[in-house]
Amino acid sequence: MVIVGIPTFGNKGLNDVMNNRFGRCASFTFVAIENNEIVEVRSVANDAQGAMGGAGIQAAQIIGNNGATEVIVGNLGPNASNSLNALNIKIYQAQGGSLTVKELIDLRLSGKLQVLTSSNVGAHAGMGGGMGGGRGGGMGGGRGRQF
Amino acid sequence: MLKPKIICVTGGKGGTGKTLVAVNLAIMFKNRGYKVLLIDGDVENPNTFLLLNAKLKNKKKVLYFLPKIIEDKCTKCGLCAENCETHALLYIKDSYPIPISTVCSGCKLCYKICPTNAIEPDLKVIGWTYTASAFNIDLFLGELKPAEARSAVIVNKLMENLEKVIKTEPEKYDIVILDTAPGAHCDVEELINGADLVIPVTEPTRFGKLDLLRIVELIDLLKKEHKAIVNRSSLLGYKEKFLKELEEKHIEILGDIPLDEEIVSSYCKGIPLMDERSKFDRDGAGYKSFEKIFENLLKWGDFSK
Repeated sequence: MVIVGIPTFGNKGLNDVMNNRFGRCASFTFVAIENNEIVEVRSVANDAQGAMGGAGIQAAQIIGNNGATEVIVGNLGPNASNSLNALNIKIYQAQGGSLTVKELIDLRLSGKLQVLTSSNVGAHAGMGGGMGGGRGGGMGGGRGRQF
Repeated sequence: MLKPKIICVTGGKGGTGKTLVAVNLAIMFKNRGYKVLLIDGDVENPNTFLLLNAKLKNKKKVLYFLPKIIEDKCTKCGLCAENCETHALLYIKDSYPIPISTVCSGCKLCYKICPTNAIEPDLKVIGWTYTASAFNIDLFLGELKPAEARSAVIVNKLMENLEKVIKTEPEKYDIVILDTAPGAHCDVEELINGADLVIPVTEPTRFGKLDLLRIVELIDLLKKEHKAIVNRSSLLGYKEKFLKELEEKHIEILGDIPLDEEIVSSYCKGIPLMDERSKFDRDGAGYKSFEKIFENLLKWGDFSK
């Protein structure tokens, strides 16, 4: 079984839309997959959303504590990326803001998502409200610097 | 005199002539028989030694704490991660905590509270301190290792070294001059906080004015006395307008330094303009302006030996 963690906006399960922010998203939706079938969906509030600092690390902790071995993210900062790498969690990149969890899982299962090995935005990029969607697509994962 | 008088030369904007002023103030005090220590607190780009043509000695490592998890002793309780202010310990239940070095503040709390002593200090070199002597001035200098972030730790170390000297040999120095980095961040704040008098150096440009206002705001917050120096004051003929603007903001001026080739020449030769044995023109515009600044400084502070 593989559990995929996706930063989201609430608790609409498979119909929730992916949040481009990782450390400061409102919730994570965890989807368990077995034999290419979705077997369980869970929404977990992100306690790190309003953290003073270190939100990326705490969010990675939530991912790890919920047993996920993969994440699908929009923007990922350096601390979050270091933490996910330290936990050996595989990172896929997608464009948030409009795709639903269900659509993303379908893309993941058909092998259409790119792997990301390091951060794609600077520290604190997700601070402050109102970033919305539309950022960060096509940033070319996999060749960035390893920290 | 039990404690040396400490003067901090700062300025907000980069390249305004902070180091030029710090070095020449040190030299002018030395000319008058004061025992002078210059501290270069611009640890990302320390360059006072170049202006003094000094050879750096006593290279000492500045070490920084990082937690190292001893897995044989760790019970995976998570107490360290739970209490880490900067969340520099990544903890997943039933596994060993993972230190995230980039956010560790080096506070050692994890090391102190671990119930099974499973955390040991993993010391890492983040920079160096040096000492030097030239033109009868002593120099303390700090250098941050490239790509390291914690410059304030090096600045702290320099100030600690100063405190040690004051404690053990209170009469070793009459005057201490602190040269800061540009900006209004914590390194600069620490140096300003350690000073009796603060001299922000600026230039008559819009950048110079904006950054001066920012640094004066910080100096006021720290409740320190300050008087500014306007360097390159003959630049583009803005001097009078600029001085008037500072007056309107109630920023007092210690003096101004016009553009002068002799200053550039002293820079290139590594001989301070104001050294008593230097061959620079005593009637030059730069030389005269430094003399005037020094006179005003002696009137401003109590520099009795």
